[in-house]
Amino acid sequence: MPGYARHVLVIEDDAETAEQLVDCLKSSGYEVDLAVDGEDGLRRALAADYVAMTVDRMLPRIDGIEIIRRLREEGILTPALILSALGEVDDRVRGLRAGGDDYLVKPFAFREMLARVDALARRSGTMVKETILRIGDLEIDLLARIARRRGRGIELLPREFRLLAYLARNAGQVVSRTMLLQHVWDLHFDPTTNVIDVYVGRVRRKIDSGQEYPLIHTIRGIGFCLRAPE
Amino acid sequence: MLLSKTLRSSTLKLAFIYVVAFCAAIFGLLGYVYWSTVTYLYEITDRAISADAALLTKAYEAGGREGLVTLINRRVTDVYFNDWVYLLADDSFDYVAGNLKSWPDLLRGDEGWRTLAPGAWQSEAARRLPVRVKQQLLPDGHHLLLGRDIEELDRFGQSVTIGLGSAAIIFLILAAAAGISTSRRSVARIEAINATSREIMRSGLGERIPLRGTGDEWDGLAENLNSMLDRIEELVETNRQVSDNVAHDLRTPLTRTRGRLERTCDQQLDLSHYRSLVNDTISDLDEILTTFSSLLRISQIEARDRTAAFRSTDLSEIVREVVELFEPAAEERAVRIQLSADKKVSVVGDRDLLFDAISNLVDNAIKHGGDRGEVRIAVMRGADGPVLSISDRGPGIPIEERSHVLRRFYRLERSRNRPGNGLGLSLVAAVANLHDADIVMADNSPGLRIELHFPIAQAAVPNMFDLQAQSSARGVHQS
Repeated sequence: MPGYARHVLVIEDDAETAEQLVDCLKSSGYEVDLAVDGEDGLRRALAADYVAMTVDRMLPRIDGIEIIRRLREEGILTPALILSALGEVDDRVRGLRAGGDDYLVKPFAFREMLARVDALARRSGTMVKETILRIGDLEIDLLARIARRRGRGIELLPREFRLLAYLARNAGQVVSRTMLLQHVWDLHFDPTTNVIDVYVGRVRRKIDSGQEYPLIHTIRGIGFCLRAPE
Repeated sequence: MLLSKTLRSSTLKLAFIYVVAFCAAIFGLLGYVYWSTVTYLYEITDRAISADAALLTKAYEAGGREGLVTLINRRVTDVYFNDWVYLLADDSFDYVAGNLKSWPDLLRGDEGWRTLAPGAWQSEAARRLPVRVKQQLLPDGHHLLLGRDIEELDRFGQSVTIGLGSAAIIFLILAAAAGISTSRRSVARIEAINATSREIMRSGLGERIPLRGTGDEWDGLAENLNSMLDRIEELVETNRQVSDNVAHDLRTPLTRTRGRLERTCDQQLDLSHYRSLVNDTISDLDEILTTFSSLLRISQIEARDRTAAFRSTDLSEIVREVVELFEPAAEERAVRIQLSADKKVSVVGDRDLLFDAISNLVDNAIKHGGDRGEVRIAVMRGADGPVLSISDRGPGIPIEERSHVLRRFYRLERSRNRPGNGLGLSLVAAVANLHDADIVMADNSPGLRIELHFPIAQAAVPNMFDLQAQSSARGVHQS
């Protein structure tokens, strides 16, 4: 099972983009299968068990959205990240409605893509139903909506708590600004200002100031990561 | 060309079918009138002949052959009866009395009614006219023939036929002319529209379909097509402006980046130098990509179907969330945000887009409102519809520049050196336009007050509206 657990399918017809995707995913420890057209992609997705897949929106033979729709019809729920060069405003809705799980507009930063595949892959693994998350000396009670560090309660606004909980659920993984806006604010556009950074900055002050080690890290050019030192 | 088009036109075909159907009806009607008139006239003639035959028979019964001959002779000389024919013949059809000299061969042997054509009288030069006759066999073997000239009757029938026939022909000609002129008219109007379309395909969007000022449906069509062309022209013009701006605003940083890479390629540098160059290049490219996606996003919002993702949303709630998001950023600049919001201000719209637009306005107010400034935000359920107003205490926007700041890439002189791409307010304008909202800029002395005025229709009867909008939104969600 662990062998399978890191297997990702890439469906992409542009040779160079495909190579970059495969390299990027391989270097972060995934095993990668590549399909260069829609038919091949659909066949592979039906045949093997992947933890996640990336699907190009426009593909020869079978269109990306059609692949996802057919997979979902067959009851295959492999999390799918749609990579699209089409505009986001309406196409995102179409992609997600067809059964896609996440959506990224080309051109994208590979780190952003990786962060999203990580998030999808984790989701398809054992769905953790824990109600208390622990990262280092931070403890987050999702039911009581309380965060404690070294036993001391931290006062957070509701939105700040949601942000911290999302970071904690993805602990150790990079989370992009757009992902935060999507999951914490339920907004679907890319922030053009540094407002998210400033907002995370305030949460960081509440969590990290006066502590032995910082938990919230800024990852340059991509986003944030909540992790305890090794 | 117009003629051949007229002949092929569907209006003409329709007119032709009408003419044929109408003619059939008219001929049927006129035919009936003719037939019933002529039948009636014949009946009257026959009745007169029968009456006279009865008189003659009575005279015969009273005065015998002599009495009958006397009466016949009197009839023959009477002016009143000069269009009548009488003949009394003996049992071998030889002449006894009357104004006919011999019994016509055709009639020998049968009794009753006959209509004789002029040719029936072989030897009678005098009788060239059609005659309606009745012959009777008298009890003593004599034959009596009496009848009446029906030339008048025939002539009347003919004149009725001619009258009806020419009426039908005139009607046919009029109907055909009306059909052709109607078709010509519609073909001419369509041809005018076609000509304009061809002109547009050939030379550009400047042409318009001429109106006749009649206010008829053709003018209505032309007006609609013209306003469609106006809209298309407007969009094409915007597109052209955008491509010009894109060319400028994307080429400049691309040229810079390219130059840097070229120089780097020629120099021998150490690894850390290379790394920092690559990082700079990536952030340059990121900036270009951000500009690029903002542009795309604005174009998409402008080209969007208004109602696609619209649902009833609470403007106050969105503004509160925006303020919450920006509070840390404001704190960092020591800017105070003051929010006063009416409860539940309903706007039918797209939450993502409204959030994005309002974020841009709040971001501008914080950035340009000056350090230690104050940003006042108000959401009101105004009399003319929901109003969002954001005021800062910064330098404001000069009046003459207010109409330009909504354009893409437009930047005020003083903010050219600050980060930003000049697209924020264009996005706000696009979102406002999509929501039928007006943007009002005013002097806050000092500072800028920018207001979004949403249309009132969207705020009417908020409770009912909300329920409906929510249920329909849920419906969309499930599908």
